[in-house]
Amino acid sequence: MDKDKRYQQQIFECHDFIEDNLYFNRPDLAVKERRFNSALLFGLLTVLNMGKQLIMGEPGLGKTTSAEYICSLLYQVPIGTVWGSEVSGHPEQTEEKIIGRPDLGELNRGNEEVVWSYFAQLPVKIVDEINRLPETKQSVILDGVDRGNWEYLNEMIINEEYSLFATANYQDMGTNSIIAPMVDRFDVIVESRHPGPNIAFLIGQKDAKENLLRHPVYEQAIKEVLGSKIPHEEKMERFDAICNHFGRFLFEKSGIKPLTRADRLSIKSEIQNMSFDLDSNAFIRMILSELSYCYAYGQKRSVEVCEEGCHYTGYMCYNVQNCASNRLPSSIKNYCQALAWLLGDEAVDLEHVRTIVPYTIAHRIQWKEEYLAQREMSIRNDPLQIHLGKEATKAIYHRYVEQSDHLKHALSVGNRCFNGEELEAVEGDHPIYAEIKKDMESAL
Amino acid sequence: MDRNEILKKIWPKVRRKHFFPEIPMPVIEECDDRVAIAMRNKQIILNPAFFDQLDGQISDEEVIEGLLDHGISHYTYCPWDFKTHLSIYTASKKVIKDKAMAKMATRIFTDVVADTHCVKEIDTPLPSIYRHLKKGVVENFTAALYQSIWGMDLRAKGHAQIPRNLKSLPYLAKKEWEESAKKFARAIESFLLDLKKAAEKSLSNQPGDAPGNENPTSFTICSHDLDSFSPEEIEAGLKEFAENVEDIEEFKESVGDILEELEDAGYPVMGRGKGKGLDADILYYMKLAESYHMPIKKLPMKKSGNLHPHSHLPWEIGSPVQEIDVWTSFGKIMPGITKVWERKEGEILGDMDSTPDCVLVIDSSASMINPREDLSYAVLGAGCACDAYLRNGARVGVYNFSDAMMGNKALLDYSDKRDEVYSVLCKYFSGGTALSLKDIAAFLEGSDKPDVFIITDMKITNLGNLINYLKKIDNRVTAVYIGESQHVARFKRSLSDEGNINIYAVDKKEDIPKIVLGKVREYMGSR
Amino acid sequence: MKNPFRAFGDYEPNVRELPLDKMVKDKKEVMGKLLKGYARLLTEGKKDFVWLVQNETVERAYVAAKAAINGMQYDMGDIEEFCYSIEGVDDLPYKVTGPLGIYISALINYAKEDNITLNLVDLKMDISLIGFRLPKGKTLNINGDLGDFTGMGVNGGTLRVNGNTKNWTGAGMKSGTIEIKKGAGYHTGEWMTGGEISVADRVKGLGDSMYGRVYEKGNLIFPLG
Repeated sequence: MDKDKRYQQQIFECHDFIEDNLYFNRPDLAVKERRFNSALLFGLLTVLNMGKQLIMGEPGLGKTTSAEYICSLLYQVPIGTVWGSEVSGHPEQTEEKIIGRPDLGELNRGNEEVVWSYFAQLPVKIVDEINRLPETKQSVILDGVDRGNWEYLNEMIINEEYSLFATANYQDMGTNSIIAPMVDRFDVIVESRHPGPNIAFLIGQKDAKENLLRHPVYEQAIKEVLGSKIPHEEKMERFDAICNHFGRFLFEKSGIKPLTRADRLSIKSEIQNMSFDLDSNAFIRMILSELSYCYAYGQKRSVEVCEEGCHYTGYMCYNVQNCASNRLPSSIKNYCQALAWLLGDEAVDLEHVRTIVPYTIAHRIQWKEEYLAQREMSIRNDPLQIHLGKEATKAIYHRYVEQSDHLKHALSVGNRCFNGEELEAVEGDHPIYAEIKKDMESAL
Repeated sequence: MDRNEILKKIWPKVRRKHFFPEIPMPVIEECDDRVAIAMRNKQIILNPAFFDQLDGQISDEEVIEGLLDHGISHYTYCPWDFKTHLSIYTASKKVIKDKAMAKMATRIFTDVVADTHCVKEIDTPLPSIYRHLKKGVVENFTAALYQSIWGMDLRAKGHAQIPRNLKSLPYLAKKEWEESAKKFARAIESFLLDLKKAAEKSLSNQPGDAPGNENPTSFTICSHDLDSFSPEEIEAGLKEFAENVEDIEEFKESVGDILEELEDAGYPVMGRGKGKGLDADILYYMKLAESYHMPIKKLPMKKSGNLHPHSHLPWEIGSPVQEIDVWTSFGKIMPGITKVWERKEGEILGDMDSTPDCVLVIDSSASMINPREDLSYAVLGAGCACDAYLRNGARVGVYNFSDAMMGNKALLDYSDKRDEVYSVLCKYFSGGTALSLKDIAAFLEGSDKPDVFIITDMKITNLGNLINYLKKIDNRVTAVYIGESQHVARFKRSLSDEGNINIYAVDKKEDIPKIVLGKVREYMGSR
Repeated sequence: MKNPFRAFGDYEPNVRELPLDKMVKDKKEVMGKLLKGYARLLTEGKKDFVWLVQNETVERAYVAAKAAINGMQYDMGDIEEFCYSIEGVDDLPYKVTGPLGIYISALINYAKEDNITLNLVDLKMDISLIGFRLPKGKTLNINGDLGDFTGMGVNGGTLRVNGNTKNWTGAGMKSGTIEIKKGAGYHTGEWMTGGEISVADRVKGLGDSMYGRVYEKGNLIFPLG
């Protein structure tokens, strides 16, 4: 990797360190001839582009720990601090434990002052078993993370940098489900999987490697800073300074160089500048059209079911119940840019999109019951949601490959129409052509 | 440069050209067959011996890139998936009745489509390979066709003899592939026949030859066939194919031809050992029934009846104070600080649900359709029910009868083996219709209150006895009848008041799985 | 409204043309013309073509068919494909084999090739009247079975059928040869005035008022003695 890719190299070193020492896993996805474990790869991407990731899996298969290691290394925060900042999901959880509480001493003196939680203050935000939280509390967290603002009583703090990792057991008995509007706010969903018996056999054989990420002195120092009464911005400066010390400590001890805040902000800016090549651009449009188009009723609506025999029966729009939200394109684009950047590619291409999309749609699509029923028993390697996301992406990808030139031509005709030429929309047998036509009509 | 190095260097470029296919990095490896590209379960293997078959006027880079273009196009364009492969084969077989020749026609057709796609859509050195290739009869034939349709000199002989109809087929119109494959097969049939005769003549001399390759020094470009697909793709393709074929005959005709090859390709045909009683009919019903999957049963939840503190709400002035949580209120009673508990009724798991075993009673008398000749609603319906019970962890017994008193019956004791159940379901006895109630009683005793699923046209000689018997038992019975008759009327009249018996009619194919599953689904939810 | 297509401003479509593209297009055009010509024939002969095979009706149909194909460019491959494409048309009149056979015969008689082979083995219907008035110098080879009035009025040409034919084979034949590789139906050779019919298998029955020669399984069965 050349000099310009030093950040990528740094991140891959962190990745390999976690993979070799901390989070035992098997690779389960391949992109650009590299194999990754999806939970780990998406964890890195989530930090890099300040995203929100839902991790599901069986109890005890490393859902939370994978996120802890990633956050500790990429934010250079001692893991003890990460643990202290986690919100655990249970029905009795309160806003006071999640965000902040009144300073009781001050309250007794008649003053309102807020003691902010680590969770609200730190860029690392991990919620364990979010599906065990009542919806109101899920909403409190996701609202805060959406805006980066945390409010309590009459005070507010603003996070400039953060990412959210939430874990959930498969939606079974004894848990509240994560309702659709809530789940839509997560950019991606991944599964933390069993590593297989051979790798699992290694677990516990080595020394507790996570001790590498512990540093009681810095953890105490951070605790003092976060608990102090200085202004939030100043707190964060001091916090960063301690983190930098911890980063140097890690480098000296294990040769791993974590990312500083400046590194992360610089990376974020590089990621945002990643462009999309025409194929990836057109492919994303095709995906969005299949997940939102309805010939009969103008667009998909979860309350309306389209009839059998529609011309577009062969497309995903016929199999899904709900409409893709406007958060979906952002999730796809942000994660694609982050992936393309991480792999050192010049621009986002089809392969990046094809890799990312299943994990962005898996939790968002509500499939029709018949569609689900026919597929739930199919042989697969992923949980049903992600499997169906992958299958859907594969089917749309195939359609794209078949008509790539035709679609790009149709989109270029759309551009010419917007530039004032009087042109007929290019016809085609896919919902995207009908959508292009609609937009061209509104350009006239 | 070493060929492996070249391959590594070229691979990313080729992937990009083909929109990043999901296939592993190809390998260069010795192959036994005289083919340039072998494809096994998505792995492309380039044969190093092939490079020596070219006249030295083409670089290794070009050869590797061209071969990869060809191989990848089979995965990304034609045939793409197993179902398309099967459809093209079926179309060819309709014209060319000979299995080997139809396979050959399929292979050549898919090659022509894949190659033409490459030449039309991407920059490819494939024409160079065809130009410099030492050509066997088939390669010369395709090269001659390519000369005409690509407009390039590929040094093929006899291109004027290529049937004109082959030169104007819309190879790149995917929707017309089946029709084109038929026309292709028709136009190429005499060529293939000559080839077959020549191959038969020289068979004793050249036993190791690739099919259709009678020239011992020449290579076939590729061997794209069933083993190019993964077992999962075959599984999905068979299901889709079963849904789309016109009738069971068409399914049998095509799938029956390739059952052994399917096994060789790693597809576990009915989980049996190689070559043991493979049966396209049974596979047809198994695949078709899979299209009517019902959702798997979930454990039922019920309210516990107890209220428990669930989450906090802000306390407002005037609200009752009993529910205040002193801990989270920090001992204060003031709006904005004080919190009260909101209570919710808890949910607990209901009693452990279980699905009883089921005995499928199926009529295969002369008045019923022979499932091996036409689509039998009875077998499909019973198959759907079987799948539903097996999927819910129950076992299924089968009582297949026509004139049971005369020994025309097949019994399968409760089993969880799907292929065993389908094998017995697909048996057809013809002849009269009478069932032995003793047999059914034995089934009912063989399990803990099993469900009974009867599917018949009710033209049963001892219908009266059956009615009386059903009245006596309290097992849940689903009776599905096919066609209206006085027997059906009598059956309905006699049993419609029984709470444990549900009776359904079936008029068309679409009815049966829905009715069956509707009932079975109800059962699954009720215990 | 913001232009959502701006990214595609520089897109240049791939316009690589292969000879195949033109050949497919030409083929489609030819098939379109052949079908159109046949539709015209059906429209014009609506009343007549409630098919009673009478000399006058057949004559009028043939004249109309000739007019319908006037100026068309096609070859034997097109004729063969036309036969199969008719099979895919759902409109019943298209499949009434009388006018269809006359139309195909006109196409054959005016085709540029003198030696024509049509592979009709997979055709699900047996077309009648194929080989109508096959002129001298033309050889027509058919693989597959044919219907009634095959080779009616053959006029010096050679018709070979690699299959069966039905009744009235070679009716009104003037000169030339008809070879049937399998069997022929009743009234074979009715009203023939010359030429030779050779049937490799069984002839179910001979017609009336015959001249010329008819062979069955290599034996002369008309005229006898």
